[in-house]
Amino acid sequence: MVKKLIDVAEGIVRADFEYWVGKYMDKFYERLEKQQFIAIKCPSCNKVYFPPRKVCGECFKTIPLENCWVDLATTGTLVNFTATNYSVMERRKKKNEKTTIIGLIKIDGSDTAIIYPVLDVQEKDVKLGMKLDVVWNKKIAGSPGDIKGFKPVGGT
Amino acid sequence: MEKVGIVGYCQIKPSMDLQMDRYEAAFKAVRGALDSANLKRKDLTSVVSSTNDFYDGRTISNCFTVDPSGSYLKDETKVEMDGAYAVLYGMMRVLSGNHKLVAVWGGSMASCFPYESTTLLSTDPTFERPTELVNVMTAGAFQMRAYMQKFDVKAEDIAKVAVKNRKNAAKNDFALPESQNAKITVKDVLAAETLSSPVTELMYARPCDGAACILLAPEQQALKIREDPVWITGVGHSQEQYYLGERDLSKSLSMENAAKMAFKMAKIKDPQKDIDVAEIFEHFAHEEPIFSEAIGLCEPGKGTSLSTEINGEIPINPSGGATSGNVLCATGLVRLIEAAKQLRGEAKNHQVAGAKRAIASGQFGFSAQNSILYILEGGKK
Repeated sequence: MVKKLIDVAEGIVRADFEYWVGKYMDKFYERLEKQQFIAIKCPSCNKVYFPPRKVCGECFKTIPLENCWVDLATTGTLVNFTATNYSVMERRKKKNEKTTIIGLIKIDGSDTAIIYPVLDVQEKDVKLGMKLDVVWNKKIAGSPGDIKGFKPVGGT
Repeated sequence: MEKVGIVGYCQIKPSMDLQMDRYEAAFKAVRGALDSANLKRKDLTSVVSSTNDFYDGRTISNCFTVDPSGSYLKDETKVEMDGAYAVLYGMMRVLSGNHKLVAVWGGSMASCFPYESTTLLSTDPTFERPTELVNVMTAGAFQMRAYMQKFDVKAEDIAKVAVKNRKNAAKNDFALPESQNAKITVKDVLAAETLSSPVTELMYARPCDGAACILLAPEQQALKIREDPVWITGVGHSQEQYYLGERDLSKSLSMENAAKMAFKMAKIKDPQKDIDVAEIFEHFAHEEPIFSEAIGLCEPGKGTSLSTEINGEIPINPSGGATSGNVLCATGLVRLIEAAKQLRGEAKNHQVAGAKRAIASGQFGFSAQNSILYILEGGKK
């Protein structure tokens, strides 16, 4: 008996969502376009959120849009990483030649780490706690992809 | 709390490519559970399912399973999480006083869709999703490294957990055949292909096809159905923050809270002494020690030194755990069934001698953002 498979990707409906990121992230992306980092500090607990957000979940309070902004440098510390040859968007069987190193990077002066590629370094040379600096994408569009990744400060 | 009884259950043996469709799997699970308790569809008052729209490739996926799962013209609802949370919905229905018999079933067909890729769709859509770096696999890898780093745990220690679970799976008739390996070594686990470092293929509970069902009834009704129900004497659940960059991934705060809540309800003071067997949903080998520590079975950082074999001091996952068949939406449900089997003495080759009190856990989200824990007792005449 033949096992009949129907590829339902053929019957897909295209339904693009246009999320508004909100006033706080609008400001973040405006700064990103200028190749700068900006974070927000909760006035109740002093936690610095990068990227910024409107509500501090721990305090369960709104962070005001005015007077809470903190300019940050583009450097940070590697707090965790993984290396993989599988891209997140593909079926498992498609394996890449190139290993991507993905890091959790805590930008100096912030309390929340972000997830970006760690560039210009071999997996064996990656060390937790290493200092990293941003690598900007050639094309800047005010979007998460403006940050291409982070590379070790002073090289390896 | 009034006691809720587990009066029947059924597991469909998991497979990497189950030769039945999802409707048949749902039907066989619910029908099998009713048969196990000599009950009929007419005895059911409510059906709670655990499925996921993304895993089923359509929205409101439960509307298609109404007929085969016995929920036609019944009270019916769905939980879009692990099946262990569907059991909580089922309990609420029983405890409301409105329902005398609730079927809770869960299942999915991982062979039909790219699970790891699908999890990208549960990331933050504006900041994280566009960069395509976060999914269940990379989140699990961060969690493993955080745990190893915090407590100076070696990859070998994590591999030992995978070895124990795959050896246990070899004794379990309902385990995924690919997970069973009586001869596996730590070296095999470490040498297996790296999925996302430091996680290797054999440390990962690979999603597979299957389904399972549990029947719940209020105390008096449960005793009418059978003289030896398994009782749910405690339950706790909790949820952590979403962003991985904000969480301490070396521990599970959600499980810590869940366990405190469940033990308080069941009046358990010392889990190390009072728990005879644990069935824990570990998506990755390293989650088993992380959860054991959060539950209080040992001190933080000591999870890999626990004696967890079937004849050990505190047997954990005698069935092989999620490694023995990670049927998405049913894995936590199966942990409850396996714990119930231990209490009833039905676990055959992976039976823990004299088990009187068991715990079973479920989880959902990246690096187990959500946790749920049950305490089970009874099961003997």
